[in-house]
Amino acid sequence: MEKVTVNFTLNGDHESITVNPNLTLLEVIRDVFGLTGTKEGCGHGECGACTVLLNGKAVNSCLVLISQVEGKEVTTIEGLSRDGSLDPLQASFIETGAIQCGYCTPGMILSAKSLLLKNGNPSDEEIKTAISGNLCRCTGYAKIIKAIKLAARNGKTKDAGGES
Amino acid sequence: MSEFRWVGKAFPRIDGRDKATGVAKYVTDRVFPNMLWGAVLRSRYPHALIKGIYTSRAEASQGVVAVLTHKDVPGLNAFGIINQDQPVLCKDKVRYLGDSVALVLAESKECAYNALDLIEVDYEPLPVVSDMEDALQTDVKVHEKGNIIEHVRITKGDVEKGFREADLIVEETYYTPRQMHTFLETEGGVATIDEDGNITVFAGSQYPNRDIIQIARSLNYPMEKIRVIAHYIGGGFGGKDEITAQILLALGTLKTGRPVKIVWNREESLIAGQKRLPMKITLKTGVTKDGKLLANKARIIADNGPYTCLGSAIMKLAVEHASGPYYVPHTDLEGFSVYTNNCIGSAFRGFGATQATFAIECQLDLISKKLGIDPLELRLKNALRNHQSANLGHIPSPSVGIAETLETLKNHDLWKNKGYYLKTDRPYLKRGIGLACSHQGCGLGSFFPDYGAATIILLPGGKFTLKIGCPDIGQGNGTAFVMIASEVLCCNPEDIELEIGDTRSTPDSGSTSASRTTYTGGRAIIEAGNKMKANLFAEASRMLGVPPDSLELRPHCVAVKDSDLKVTYAEIAERLSKENRFLECYSRFDWPTADLEFKEALGLPHFIYSYISEMALVEVNVLTGEVSVLKAVVSPDAGRIINRQGLEGQAEGGTVMGMGYALMEEIRQVDGQYMNKDLSTYIIPTAQDAPEIETVPVEKYEVSGPFGAKGIGEAVCNPITPAVINAIKNALGISITKIPATPEDIYFMAKKEFDLLRS
Repeated sequence: MEKVTVNFTLNGDHESITVNPNLTLLEVIRDVFGLTGTKEGCGHGECGACTVLLNGKAVNSCLVLISQVEGKEVTTIEGLSRDGSLDPLQASFIETGAIQCGYCTPGMILSAKSLLLKNGNPSDEEIKTAISGNLCRCTGYAKIIKAIKLAARNGKTKDAGGES
Repeated sequence: MSEFRWVGKAFPRIDGRDKATGVAKYVTDRVFPNMLWGAVLRSRYPHALIKGIYTSRAEASQGVVAVLTHKDVPGLNAFGIINQDQPVLCKDKVRYLGDSVALVLAESKECAYNALDLIEVDYEPLPVVSDMEDALQTDVKVHEKGNIIEHVRITKGDVEKGFREADLIVEETYYTPRQMHTFLETEGGVATIDEDGNITVFAGSQYPNRDIIQIARSLNYPMEKIRVIAHYIGGGFGGKDEITAQILLALGTLKTGRPVKIVWNREESLIAGQKRLPMKITLKTGVTKDGKLLANKARIIADNGPYTCLGSAIMKLAVEHASGPYYVPHTDLEGFSVYTNNCIGSAFRGFGATQATFAIECQLDLISKKLGIDPLELRLKNALRNHQSANLGHIPSPSVGIAETLETLKNHDLWKNKGYYLKTDRPYLKRGIGLACSHQGCGLGSFFPDYGAATIILLPGGKFTLKIGCPDIGQGNGTAFVMIASEVLCCNPEDIELEIGDTRSTPDSGSTSASRTTYTGGRAIIEAGNKMKANLFAEASRMLGVPPDSLELRPHCVAVKDSDLKVTYAEIAERLSKENRFLECYSRFDWPTADLEFKEALGLPHFIYSYISEMALVEVNVLTGEVSVLKAVVSPDAGRIINRQGLEGQAEGGTVMGMGYALMEEIRQVDGQYMNKDLSTYIIPTAQDAPEIETVPVEKYEVSGPFGAKGIGEAVCNPITPAVINAIKNALGISITKIPATPEDIYFMAKKEFDLLRS
């Protein structure tokens, strides 16, 4: 298989990799860069556990082929809290009890981040729609919705880059 | 002001930061240098004889290091907690589509999965046992010994006398589906072996100490050379209680000498993983005209699939819970656990009580309707009270809070102002309110040894290490453990370093299951903490020159009562260090058991129960059959609450899981084949489906519990299912005896009802 070279930004750092073109963004994040905060729950875009930001928009990284990120900015959960300070969403998820097993948490936070980047004051319905592609089996979603509202109130969600 | 510093507070999880930042390494996140990937060849048929397995083409395939079959299993080629009837790798027969036939070990995941297609297996297909009633009759045997795994019948009083005295007898049969746990992290992990032959398995597990017994038995390998680490885990809900990938992981690393990773993909998890087992429950219930329950007769059949796992114990819990949390003088409760060629049935949050709750709570609404008695008053009239005999004739621990949980609902705005909430502004939208009660036996029940253990060590600087076995599979027992230790040792939760779920470093504290973990672990921690406290007093007494009985704990120090004289934990640790000593306290706690034991139904009954009532407001669109659950009010009695935030998390998560069971979740099987294999066709609730949930706890003090606590992890998903179904029945005036009640089902039932009205 002929390899491809892909240039993109990962959590603020410019990266250039030469890999098989059949790799997904999820595989590159986890296996090439060792960033295991991005989870695989189904591999088919059905659960949202692998959600990352691509130019500020939430995507299922298991459905993105690596060539599609050429020239784009990718943000994973590790990129939200660089320099040790938490994103308001991370802080509110911890505070409100929106985390149980935590396996859906990174993807859930990034879907919420994508929402707050374009809508700083979302309604309950807008929140539910934004995270409806992210399955959580532990929490029943109530505290997740509460956490996103709290983070929106606390405002000041850091810009994760991108077009928005 | 509360008498406690930590207990009862809403305390954020101790692992929240690691999980919110992506730092937490789950068992399937682990990677090691030179690691191989394993892929499992599953059966092609739901029931067939194996005539030959040919692996040479797969072995020659690119990147493949080894292909293992039954010949490579050095010890007992079978596992199972109750009966060892499930092969590690099948030899001469397959019994469901999830059976493991071969394990490919390759340099990459892609190479491993590609090679699966190159393994040739000669099968001779057999007739398939797919219906649980048929399983009792047919000549086709899933196992040599026949299709009945276990049959129990337990009677109390004289059920026929009860029926003779009854003014009304209702009889109905209820059907429950095969539900998937749908933990977001599928089954799997990584295993390594060192030069001395020590095997370490990182795996999703609810009882690593039992795993090493099962691994050792199948590998014919010394237990002391096997270590299982179960941390972090992306959900369990019972589905990681029995062995999943652990033995194959250990076998793979033993045979190749290299680290091996196996992670089941979602389809494998659905096909091969354990599920909530379907049941058919027939109830005959006799009642007086003023609503007093007199007699209840149950016949339960449980479709266990091809292997026992924990299935027979689950059937027994359904029997135990089949009359609900009520006083019923005469009962006759019978259960069968049968083999079929369907998916494996095993532990799932609620463990049989869930299925039984659906049946008895629908039955109570039927009685309420026939007698014209308010459903809440009917339940209140029959609610079990302290010192009354329960379903099986035993007297449970006197922390029976079911009546109080019902009173809580009765006083809630949603119940008091039903008329207001039932109004809709569209003629095709119909609303209903339904309620249900449940209880759940905590712990493993009579007969089985049920214990917890914990170790506490004083660290330099005055902090503590807390070591305890039972893993935190996501529900938050680790945080509860730290809160309990902080309470006993008068320090902050940040001062406790928790080690959990590692057979090498943490004491065996039993399984994370059976609503037992916070109770058992909590008691063990209190006992170990009290030993630590006595030791700290002894050291402080020596250092301060005062008698131990003049001392008390204050934050981070031992102080002389009514005085400023004190010595900090850090100073005690420093002194010990200089004397080349340290403080380590271990304690074990054994469960109290009921006053009754059934030789023919080991494990029954339980002694301590959690109780719960829940009501739901639903809105049904009769044009589409769609149901929206608008609001749920849950009143759990888990004894004293340790962590308010954890309790609410359980109540909310359990409610949505039980709502999915009521309305949408089912693995449909025809002749052992799967009709849905992924998360697009097996649907669980999303944020858009989840209702607003209010948790109003009742705290019925359990004298044997840690600070009065009981378990709650399972009961929370029981009552919501019949509460939702009862609400739909109330909204439409229809009868529902089978779940899930899908939009199609409801649409046609509603149409029939309205067509009848119109004609």
